Amino acid sequence: MSTTPKSVGGFTPISVAYSSTATHVFYARAHSNPKPAKSPAQQDSKGKGKEAVYPEGRTLFLVNLPPDATERELTLFFKAAGTVERIAFDADGEVAGGEDDLGDSSDSEEEDEEDEAEAEAADEPAERPRKKRKTGKQDSPPEVTPLPTPTLRTLRRTGRSAHLVFLDASSLSRALSPPSSTSSPAPNSKSSPKPRPWPTDAAAPLGLAHYLAAHTALRPPLDAVRAHADTAMARFEWAQARARRASKYRMGEAVVDADGFTLVTRGGAYGKTLGGGVGVASKRFQEEAAGGKAGAGKRYRKKKTEKTEKEGFYAFQVHEKKRKELMDLKAKWQEDKAKVEKLKHSRRFKPY
Amino acid sequence: MASSLKRKRVQDNPHAKSKRRHTTPDSEDSGLSQASAHADFEEHESEQDGADEDVGSDASSEGHVELLEPAGDTQESDAAIHVKAPPKGEELRDIKDATDLFRSTSFKLQIDALLPNVRAKYHRSAPLDKFLLSLHTFLNGLPSIPPKHPLAASRDLQKKGVAVPYVLPQPTEDTNWKVAFEKPAEILLVGSWALKTSVKAKDGRRYVVDLAVTMPESLFQEKDYLHSRFFQKRAFYLAVIAAAVSGKKSGLNIEVLYESTNGDPRLTTLVLRPKADGSASDFSSLNTEVRILPVLPSSSPIPVQRLGPSRPNVRASASSDDSASDTPSPIYNSRIIQHLTPKPHLVSTHALKESVPAFSDALALLRVWAHQRGYGVGDRLCVRGFEGRGAWWVGLLECLVMGEEVAENGGQFGGFGKKEKRRPLGKGLSSYQLFKAALDLLARYDFAKNRTVIKSKDGHRFPPEDYASHEAALVDSSSMLNLLAGVPLTSLEMLRYDAQQTLDVLDNSGLSEDPFPLVFLKEQRDVANRFDVVLRIDLSSAEAGNLPPHAILEHGSAYNALIAHLLSTAKRALSNRTRAIAVLHPSSSSRPLSQAQPSNPSTVLLGLVLDTEHAFRLVDHGPPASEQETEEAKQFRDFWGEKAELRRFKDGSIVESVVWTVGSSDERAHIPAMIVRYILGLHLGLSEESIHGWQNGFDGIVRLPENVGKVLRDGRVETGFKAAMSAFDSLVKAMKALDEQLPLAITTVSPISDSLRYTSSLAPVAIPTSVASALPACARYVAPMEIIVEFEKSGRWPDDLRATQKIKLAFFEALATALMGSQKGLRASVIVSSPHAASDIEDQACLEIVTAAGWAFHARIWHDREQLLLERAIDDKPHIPKHVKKNMHMEGDPKERAAATAALEVYRRRFVHAPRHHRAVAALSHRFSAFAGTARLVKRWLAAHWLLEGHVRAEAAELLCAAVFLRGAKSGGDARAGVPGSKERGFARVMELLKDWEWSAGMFVSLYGDDSDAVKDVPPVGVDVKAGARQGVWAIATEVDREGHVWTAEGPDAVVARRVKALAQATWEALKGMEGGNFEVKTLFAHPTEHYDFIVELDPAVLPRYAQGVQADPAIWAKKGKYANARGDDGEAKLLPGFDPARAFHEDLKRVYEHTFVLFHDPLGGHMFGGVWDPSLKVPRPFRVLGGYSSMPVAKDTDKPKEKEKDKSLVVLNESAVLSEIERMGRGLVKRIVVQV
Repeated sequence: MSTTPKSVGGFTPISVAYSSTATHVFYARAHSNPKPAKSPAQQDSKGKGKEAVYPEGRTLFLVNLPPDATERELTLFFKAAGTVERIAFDADGEVAGGEDDLGDSSDSEEEDEEDEAEAEAADEPAERPRKKRKTGKQDSPPEVTPLPTPTLRTLRRTGRSAHLVFLDASSLSRALSPPSSTSSPAPNSKSSPKPRPWPTDAAAPLGLAHYLAAHTALRPPLDAVRAHADTAMARFEWAQARARRASKYRMGEAVVDADGFTLVTRGGAYGKTLGGGVGVASKRFQEEAAGGKAGAGKRYRKKKTEKTEKEGFYAFQVHEKKRKELMDLKAKWQEDKAKVEKLKHSRRFKPY
Repeated sequence: MASSLKRKRVQDNPHAKSKRRHTTPDSEDSGLSQASAHADFEEHESEQDGADEDVGSDASSEGHVELLEPAGDTQESDAAIHVKAPPKGEELRDIKDATDLFRSTSFKLQIDALLPNVRAKYHRSAPLDKFLLSLHTFLNGLPSIPPKHPLAASRDLQKKGVAVPYVLPQPTEDTNWKVAFEKPAEILLVGSWALKTSVKAKDGRRYVVDLAVTMPESLFQEKDYLHSRFFQKRAFYLAVIAAAVSGKKSGLNIEVLYESTNGDPRLTTLVLRPKADGSASDFSSLNTEVRILPVLPSSSPIPVQRLGPSRPNVRASASSDDSASDTPSPIYNSRIIQHLTPKPHLVSTHALKESVPAFSDALALLRVWAHQRGYGVGDRLCVRGFEGRGAWWVGLLECLVMGEEVAENGGQFGGFGKKEKRRPLGKGLSSYQLFKAALDLLARYDFAKNRTVIKSKDGHRFPPEDYASHEAALVDSSSMLNLLAGVPLTSLEMLRYDAQQTLDVLDNSGLSEDPFPLVFLKEQRDVANRFDVVLRIDLSSAEAGNLPPHAILEHGSAYNALIAHLLSTAKRALSNRTRAIAVLHPSSSSRPLSQAQPSNPSTVLLGLVLDTEHAFRLVDHGPPASEQETEEAKQFRDFWGEKAELRRFKDGSIVESVVWTVGSSDERAHIPAMIVRYILGLHLGLSEESIHGWQNGFDGIVRLPENVGKVLRDGRVETGFKAAMSAFDSLVKAMKALDEQLPLAITTVSPISDSLRYTSSLAPVAIPTSVASALPACARYVAPMEIIVEFEKSGRWPDDLRATQKIKLAFFEALATALMGSQKGLRASVIVSSPHAASDIEDQACLEIVTAAGWAFHARIWHDREQLLLERAIDDKPHIPKHVKKNMHMEGDPKERAAATAALEVYRRRFVHAPRHHRAVAALSHRFSAFAGTARLVKRWLAAHWLLEGHVRAEAAELLCAAVFLRGAKSGGDARAGVPGSKERGFARVMELLKDWEWSAGMFVSLYGDDSDAVKDVPPVGVDVKAGARQGVWAIATEVDREGHVWTAEGPDAVVARRVKALAQATWEALKGMEGGNFEVKTLFAHPTEHYDFIVELDPAVLPRYAQGVQADPAIWAKKGKYANARGDDGEAKLLPGFDPARAFHEDLKRVYEHTFVLFHDPLGGHMFGGVWDPSLKVPRPFRVLGGYSSMPVAKDTDKPKEKEKDKSLVVLNESAVLSEIERMGRGLVKRIVVQV
């Protein structure tokens, strides 16, 4: 690598020495929040939340991370620049916020996540769900016993990105500057910054050891599984109960809105109206009923029309039918002829 | 053909008088004498010619298409102009003929296109005519040679470099007959060339112009039919002509060679090949050769009566009161008669050609069909006995047209019983109809039992019973010659088998597929996919000495007698185990004049087509043992030698029997080969080494290495499919017994693992902990077998996908605890989802059960409501049309939807399709004995070429195998004709399929054919895919999967599909090596690695599956001690079911570098990954944030202006970084990475 450009598409390339011959490059840039085109996966709806998650000024946006990079390794790598507060991998993992405090966000329903995100985003006057959640956290058991998780490396897809939040705003410039600072005295003679070695975290195994560990980790002790399953179910039931409470709809109860209209909903899987409201016949039933009637009607009508015309009554009909048959024959003949002609051209008819 | 069309026109012309139509296809009106029918026909033709104005312009037939093509084109363009007009009468008749008389119009057109290509170019025969003329003059001017002693005469000729091809018994000094030469009495062009019915031979062999040179009768005496004297005189006569023609004085610029048809010295002929010199008589461009056949004059002194088929004319010794002298010598006699027939045959065939308009076309079709299947001559292996049998094919058609002779003595004749005589067919049949009738005759006719005499005008010369001494007989209309004399019965059975298969194809191929190429265009001589068992026999060590001298004389040479003996012995030994046996060898070649005797190939191939119902029988029963020694019992013991023994059977009977002992079920497939080896060793003195087969090689491919197998055997470990299945059954029983301890009762447990349906490429093995320590680390892999558990229905399942997965965990835990409580030694643990699992709504957890015996299972729970929930997650309002929804913005979270779609796909494949597929495949394994073996070999092949699992799913491979088997068994009734009877043949068939399959057209496999007859009738909906449109380009549809993508959705992609095709092609070529004998099974499974960009080599010592590899090196685990020291913690032999780090690493790399490279790996013990970079990444591209690959900036080019670079910050794939990442991620696994250029 003789010359590394100082900037690639607005990013500062940072070289990492894997070995004497191999150098990895990742690209860094100061994170800026409002930029909508930053990453396609980030939706502007979430932008608000992001602002809090990735504070501008001390967040470094990294692209093309090594697939096996761990938080610890990245922290170590940027230690020279400053202390890293936290790291969020993969721009598309919006659950980043949730991941930190709740390891089991995946167990709860999506609504919960959104609630959480909202809850974190702004301290608004206690809304109903918010209140529920707080009370829930206090009295009902949403705690899910997690399955035992050993320190296993996550192998991400190559070329992905991460947000790295420094503790201190000054670290950001330091993290971005090394290349320029080292190259500034002699931009051309010592053309590129010396690639720094990649710190490998010994605690998180790689390769064979990793797979061995993963094999064991996938088979947790039965009591742990049991505890996890039970608590998860308890939480699910609690969440459902909460949702039911939160919902305006009660099962079996007629829902009448302000204007006095009764809400009519379709039934659930077992014909029950789970969400509340007054049940109606299932769609299939409706369709069948409708189809049956319509079909019957059609059949009736058809019968009527059939009576009017007779085939082969007039001489011209017979003639035309014959003529059509002949035409069809001819058309097919010609088609076949063309096909065989084509095959002939591909010299297919030489058997040997 | 043209005349046939004209002829039909008469029929279809509505204005023709009805009495004129006299030859409908199944007309029984054959009472008309030939002559009158002929005259009748001429009349029609002339009449018709007058009526039609443009008769000449129907261009689609005869051998003149090239000349007439322009005319045809103009006609077509005419038609294009008046496309709206209905067809004219002329055209209409053509169309009607094509549809009525042929299989379909396109079939007819294809036949018309084929025929000119297989006909000789008669219009260029002027030089040949010139040559023949000069040859004629030359032969007529040959001087006479007075009678001489045969040895003296041969010495004279020897001086000219010409050996006299005397036959056995060779003349000695005290022979008392003389040989002489006089100029020929008549020289006549005979055979197919003269009749213009020549059909191109295989492999560029020449057309043969037969020249019958009639020897003057004065040379012969009445008794010449004895002691081969006729043949000796003929040999001398031929040698004299040879010497004269090859001499400088002849002025003929030709190469003169001897050739013995079928390797029979009695049929030695003289072959004259032109040397290209550009003279007027140089016919080398015509690709013909002239063959001189010396024939007997019709008025020869040899009495024909003495040549009847039952006459004994061969006397082994001079003393004629020998006991063998009463044995009839049918072949010997036929060989003499053969010298009388060329002229009568010419006449009768000509008459036939005149009276049956489609005769020559039908003959051409029949012979093309036969040539493609090796019944004839060619450079590759041919079925024995069909050389120089032009008359037989003619006779076959003649038999159809003329019908059989009715025997006077009613049912007795030829054991025909009460069966009806073959009625003559109408003379107006089309070529295709005649061809098909001939196939039908071949397929149904049992030549062994029935003797056929073609009807002739003046009765037959010899009573039909006489022909009983022939193995098979079809007697020509001159009623003298058995056209099948000397054809081994087994070869006829082979012919019959082929005819059956072709008829199957013609009758049962649907409208969508065109059988034409399969019947006429495709080469079918490959032994690998034609025979179930192929044995290569080296005859050089055979003891020909103990053949009776009578047999040698009868067959003409010791070699021919040996082959005949070999075949009859093999046939008797195999009895009904085979449908056909064929000896294949290269057809006889010409030899220089100095060589008197034909040289015979020392090795032949013996091909067996098995009848799977009987082939693997363990016991052959003989006659019952009784007090007194019966002749039968004695024969049985003589035949089987020491293998014959008296055995008492369950029903109390004591019979002579032969028992074949086999060690394993694999070996059972070897019984036919075993029998052949034994019996040929016994009767022909062939040693074990001289009979070479490939079955063992193929068996070894799907077996664990010997020393691993030994450890397993020593540990008394349960192995094999049966054991796995019984382990599964007992597990199911144990699970069902747990009803009390589980919240819901288990209703069904269905297996979905190929180990439980006989098709996993390696037989399943149970590894109990006790044995584990004895096994090397490279062979400790325990393959878990997937099973699916279904609980009884309950309304209490949560209505939520994530919660469902958690409930499953709870069920697993309960099941595990209960199972461990009830079964001693059983271990069960719950496998929770891996962190990389696609989503938390997908079914992911499973229960790992390891039984006390060491069987490992992975159980999953099928909850049928998941499907509904997933469907709802994808689209929760199916009743609202799409466009409305779009406007309403209620499509939901796209990510959630994608996850649900993926989960639904997994759900459908795992719980809906897999159990169904499993059942169907298991049923196939029972239905076709060779299916499982084939599937195992094919999977092994795919794995060995780094394709299985990663690119081709095992189920897709099974479907391909099923396609081969089901295609062969499509028709009802006697359906199993085309079904492979051994896994080797099945494997070759699959290779053939893969090599020829146009995958873009898709494929339909009627896997569930038996269950759903209703679906079968519906033609499959379009299974076409556009290449590159999706990840998997193969579409293998079944009745339940109309799209055909359940098993091929993830691959192979277009690149890999092409690769599969190329590999199959290479394998196919390698399989052809069987013919030459230089074929090693392992080479088919050796993977070439030079095409990969880089190879990741893993350390085989740490891979638990390494020992499963095809090329596994035992040395790796032999030095186990050294490694055990190095890795002390691993030495305690913990069994990790399903632990396959190579596979896991492969999966990880595949996921991590999905868009960077394509990775290939052998899942069955491979220790290398092959990678191919995405070529598009090697080109610098502008930088993108989420490029999805590891990149580095392109080094600056100082020449370029600076600002331009800034705009376009180009980056390129960082190969070295990726490779060192691989090395880092595979620490402890990767030995090294080799980058290949």
